[in-house]
Amino acid sequence: MLSKEEITLFINVVKKISTYDFSDYSERSFARRIDKILSDNRMELPALISKVKTSPEFLEKVVKDITVNTTELFRDPSAWQALRFRVLNKFENQSVINIWHAGCSTGQEVYSMLILLNEMGLYEKANVFATDLNTDVLNVAKKGEYKYRFNIDYLDNFDKVINENPFNYEDVVNVPYTKYFQVDQNKDLLKMNDFLVNKPLFRKQDLINDGNIFYTKFDLILCRNVLIYFNHELQTRIFEMFHQNLFAKGYLVLGAHESMLGPVAAKYKRKGLFYVKK
Amino acid sequence: MSYKAIIIGGSAGSFQVITKILANLPSGFDIPIFLCLHRLKHVRTGFEEALSIKSTLPIIEPYDKQHIRPGKIYLAPANYHMYMELGNTFSLSTEPPVNHSRPSIDLSFFSAAYTYKNKLVGIILSGANKDGALGLKQVKLAGGVAIVQSPDECQVKTMPTAAMAATSVDYVYTTDQIISFLKRM
Repeated sequence: MLSKEEITLFINVVKKISTYDFSDYSERSFARRIDKILSDNRMELPALISKVKTSPEFLEKVVKDITVNTTELFRDPSAWQALRFRVLNKFENQSVINIWHAGCSTGQEVYSMLILLNEMGLYEKANVFATDLNTDVLNVAKKGEYKYRFNIDYLDNFDKVINENPFNYEDVVNVPYTKYFQVDQNKDLLKMNDFLVNKPLFRKQDLINDGNIFYTKFDLILCRNVLIYFNHELQTRIFEMFHQNLFAKGYLVLGAHESMLGPVAAKYKRKGLFYVKK
Repeated sequence: MSYKAIIIGGSAGSFQVITKILANLPSGFDIPIFLCLHRLKHVRTGFEEALSIKSTLPIIEPYDKQHIRPGKIYLAPANYHMYMELGNTFSLSTEPPVNHSRPSIDLSFFSAAYTYKNKLVGIILSGANKDGALGLKQVKLAGGVAIVQSPDECQVKTMPTAAMAATSVDYVYTTDQIISFLKRM
């Protein structure tokens, strides 16, 4: 693995020639991403550094490869069940619900949310915003088309969240997934229905430098498994930024194994997976 | 030589071995142990509880940025890669599976080898694939101690055999010998 000194050298070069600043990334996690880029490109670090210096296009590609873009439809079904029965139901009496998916990657989480909102009768009042740093993944998100073959779990997850109620085992409904997406096994394609694809607003945004780019505050911000790539100091800055952009008693949702540490945690009240703005 | 951390990788056939090791550690054992074990994709919860039943020490599935403390057993959470960072904290990652595995034993071993260098003991147990072989090699290159479970004793010997092919291991031990080694640390 690359040493701390090598990583610092790379980060400093990138900082000098672009607006990208990776100084506050988790070091070993970042080292792993660079190791992977080196082995995928069959390169050593000095060659990588000289190529990013001479080719802006290559630098853009490297930045995209550094960011991790894994996501699933209804990833962690128990988190979605909790969202359904403990969070979204609290917004039923509001006339408008503003939701921000920060670091939405290829969009599966956004479509999961839209499906759930629709089942709960909240679809029309919801404004759904979604952002990511990487325009390639945003383009996938905007199309709402995914591979089917490696994503068979999606159907299981769909049933767990939409058709079952963990708090009442007799409460089972039978919503077919075709209400929301179509599967074409020959083309290995899972495609979201048009009414879902047209609903959210996808925008490029850099969490570290841009802050909130929408002219509104939010009832709910989802930022799951995004901040794990940042160090504690940068995480704290972003938790502060989210705090400023949540409505009173708004909810922040993090990934299953994320937490908020240090003084910023006092600004939120923790309820299981959720952080409520105090 | 005083060691600062122990990392153990295992897959098919390793659950009982791990359980036995954890049941036989003295309660005052004060070196952190990292467990990176493959599990079935659908078995995402309950593993920590199952291992805890007989363990003398607390077992924790760490959160991102959680501090590493002595006297604790840390189990890589399902569906995340687990890294040990300088400054005694964890970082987690959801990057794609490596060798079909998330958590990946290799990736955890790489970060531990970098962070703990010659103060690390790496152990590879029974398993049906080659994950961990490159990781154990890295432990060795960084000056740490490399141990594999004796292939003769393993339910599935692919993993320790692959590790032995990748690097010259220090010890080939049965479960009981691993336990004695840890107790002497």
